[in-house]
Amino acid sequence: MGLENLKTILKNNERSFEIKSPIIGASGTYGYDCEFSDFINLDCFGAISTKGITLEKRLGNEGERIFEVQGGMINRIGLENVGIEAFIKEKLPILKSKNIDFILNIAGSTIEDYEKLAKIADESKIKAIEVNVSCPNVKSGCLEFGLNPDSLEQLTKTIRNNYKGFLIVKLSPNTSDIKLLAKAAESGGADCISAINTLRGLGIKVEFDGTKFSKKSVKGGLSGSCIKPCALYMIEEIRSATNLPIIAMGGISKLSDLFEFMSVGADAFQIGTANFIKPSICTDLAIELSNFIEKNGFKNFEELKNKIKEIK
Amino acid sequence: MDKIKSDFKGEIINTETIAKDVCKIDILSPLKTAIAGQFISVLCPNTTLRRPFSIANFENQTITILFKLKGEGTSYLKKLKKGDNIDFLAPLGNGFTIENKKSLLVGAGIGIAPMLFLKNTLDKKNIKNYLITGFKSEEEIIKGSDKTIVGGSVLDYLDEIIKSENIEIIYSCGPTPVLKGISNISKKYDIPSQIAMEKVMACSIGVCRGCVIKLSKNNETINASVCKDGPVFKGSEVIWD
Repeated sequence: MGLENLKTILKNNERSFEIKSPIIGASGTYGYDCEFSDFINLDCFGAISTKGITLEKRLGNEGERIFEVQGGMINRIGLENVGIEAFIKEKLPILKSKNIDFILNIAGSTIEDYEKLAKIADESKIKAIEVNVSCPNVKSGCLEFGLNPDSLEQLTKTIRNNYKGFLIVKLSPNTSDIKLLAKAAESGGADCISAINTLRGLGIKVEFDGTKFSKKSVKGGLSGSCIKPCALYMIEEIRSATNLPIIAMGGISKLSDLFEFMSVGADAFQIGTANFIKPSICTDLAIELSNFIEKNGFKNFEELKNKIKEIK
Repeated sequence: MDKIKSDFKGEIINTETIAKDVCKIDILSPLKTAIAGQFISVLCPNTTLRRPFSIANFENQTITILFKLKGEGTSYLKKLKKGDNIDFLAPLGNGFTIENKKSLLVGAGIGIAPMLFLKNTLDKKNIKNYLITGFKSEEEIIKGSDKTIVGGSVLDYLDEIIKSENIEIIYSCGPTPVLKGISNISKKYDIPSQIAMEKVMACSIGVCRGCVIKLSKNNETINASVCKDGPVFKGSEVIWD
């Protein structure tokens, strides 16, 4: 069963990225090759953004990596991944065999890392990449690019010069003015903005055993429904700064969330933390959205989106 | 197509308090297969993340889980009554690989849950086994073992049992210090061990890399996720912090 009315084309000038549905599995929550396929119906599936891939394989952070909070969670995975070479050799064929559209999420510590990753993506004819310039969980590197407009513009330009496909830049919310970052990405040659990455957070649990106190803490990126108001604010800000397509994320788990994000300018969506609660959420939401469009007499997702954007 | 792994809806057919702050629930569902060491991941409406529970038995399409009241997830489970529905992913992870060897089963605290399932499985296969479990106090004892220790550590009793019962393999589940101890004892006697690990999980199906531990395989250090690569690992391969 396909969902014809959900076809989505993200477009900037001559470059575009076409997906079956505007609902995308967010990076870090869908593995490399859609390991969720035991749990979902792939026919209704938009695309996945792969786990963040670096040049070399990484083992990620030591110690506890997950901390649950009210309405969300904090993670400090630290970009554990197989590295680009193993991705191209082992994971890419699986994605192709499953016929899943995907966005390659890339991360690096230096501008040269990103340049090499962009070249490899280009040579491998990968249709879309999402540049992680905003991972809060690694000590050096990507967050620094992500928070300074000048270095972000320079980084985006370097990637643009080495990659001909659809270039998405994923922005950090850990900034005083996200509009400047959106403009910098656009000036550097980005085709699309995705936002928001996780917010910096600190989870603490103090326990008392009757005689002494102990403390557990995890510092990392906060995600889940608790960050939605922040994400909505940021998407509205980004929309006021650029006309590029926006892939919105941050606490999305239901149909009304999609409407809210469309109303501030989103063109597509990523689902992250909600996948951990309900592995079929991306396809469930796609079916629900498709049924809503059909039942209420809209032609397709594009028309629905424009109607919602027009609301004053 | 029927998928073996899935998001199941089950019906609670029995609930029971079996020790201090420890409950047992039986769930009837379409789940077709499960082995000792595997777990289910329960959707708890009052928490952000699902909660993993070792399967304590699986017979006649009925999954049994045991849980100790600890936080919001288990307080939700405690309130469930006969006839209520429950949403869970199953069967998750890799269970114990059963060998036809005289087996020592070691459970510490609520770690007895998969050991009871394993004992049941070994008994059905007529594999000689001995289950020892340890609890902090009398009132916390969960029944079903060949030997139960109250206070102290189960590890202190293993030398004697290994010798007197001619043990050829050890299986265990419990807190990290116990599992580390099992790993050391199995090295000392040069017998294999399989241990079921526990770690805070987010996705419970291997994608988020939130629950990784380090293993040593062919002299290389690798990450393994407790939820998908485990929860059962060879004791000799785990690198302890």
